[in-house]
Amino acid sequence: MVKLRILLADDHEIVRRGLRALLEKHEGWEVCGEASDGREAIEKALQLRPDVIIVDIGMPSLNGLDTTRQLLQHDPQFKIIVLTITDSDQVIREALDAGARGFVLKSDAARDLVSAVEALQNRRMFFTPRVNDLVLAGFLEKGQTVSRDEAPKLPTLTAREREITQLLAEGNSSKEVACLLNLSTKTVETHRSNIMRKLSFHSIRDLVVYAIKNNLIQIDIPSSPKTPTGPTAA
Amino acid sequence: MFDRRVIFCARGIKGDMTTRILLVDDHPIVRQGLKTILEGHIDWEIVGEASDGVEAVEKAVRLHPDVIVLDVTMPAMNGLEACRVLRRQLPGLEILFVTQHDSPQMMREALDAGARGYVVKSNAARDLLEAVEAVSQHRAFTALHGKSFA
Repeated sequence: MVKLRILLADDHEIVRRGLRALLEKHEGWEVCGEASDGREAIEKALQLRPDVIIVDIGMPSLNGLDTTRQLLQHDPQFKIIVLTITDSDQVIREALDAGARGFVLKSDAARDLVSAVEALQNRRMFFTPRVNDLVLAGFLEKGQTVSRDEAPKLPTLTAREREITQLLAEGNSSKEVACLLNLSTKTVETHRSNIMRKLSFHSIRDLVVYAIKNNLIQIDIPSSPKTPTGPTAA
Repeated sequence: MFDRRVIFCARGIKGDMTTRILLVDDHPIVRQGLKTILEGHIDWEIVGEASDGVEAVEKAVRLHPDVIVLDVTMPAMNGLEACRVLRRQLPGLEILFVTQHDSPQMMREALDAGARGYVVKSNAARDLLEAVEAVSQHRAFTALHGKSFA
């Protein structure tokens, strides 16, 4: 029997280990490779030709949404499940736009991921109830699959500009970005100027805020308000 | 109510040297990943799991682990608050944070709350064994990205 081959892409090894343990309990499935960022995921997907690719949204260097877009540009037959820590309307829209066939919350991965892989194996899609609700609401209200009225009106960046925005927002210099993308520093500087002009930004701080708001990078904060930091009894 | 017989039996089976560990993270998939690393150690036993700070305190009081591996960002009660409560209720318990906050400020806050160890999630596969080993022997272990101080 031919095994279903799965590629895992998440920047946390601890999460990849958990995912691998979960998926390899399923008879007939094997994890054929792992990647710790979007670029490595694309490289390994092209090399290993997995049946299903599981991609975390919040990866450094190249986030999961742009990884999904680039993978499907290489081969529209790739079947991709997006793993996310949030199912906000904007993230759902972007994942659907990017071409993901599955959408699973990380917090529910232990429960939903096996069902999601099974769905893709059977040429179906898998989404959380919230995604289904959003799609249905958009269909009923607007007669289209997803309502876009609430989406922020933002200038469109090209795929390359989004990549560079993410890398700059992660703290890389133009020279470092050039090195990562195999471009000249001058080319990166030109892209950088175009990005700042398109978005009417004047500082890297504006770019970081934009990257966070648009899910190019993700940050995590404690769920409760920060408590005073003074020494306490140990 | 804490059942001393259960703990006695558990220790009796594995011997007195067994380090009993409670895993706390709101993502089951992360707990699974932590388990795959910790279960390889012959003298360590995962005695329970919890998905938020409230459940962590309840299980720690009931199970009396030696070490608790604790996430910071969790619903209901976050890890820092849970750490302060545990410090008061179970003074002998060693607390190790495994978090995605690669920040000296957060590490300082965790240590002030009474933790003995601090490991960043992105490096957990590399640092976790050494960190649990250290805190189980009441030694400090802190590691931010690329820097560790045992």
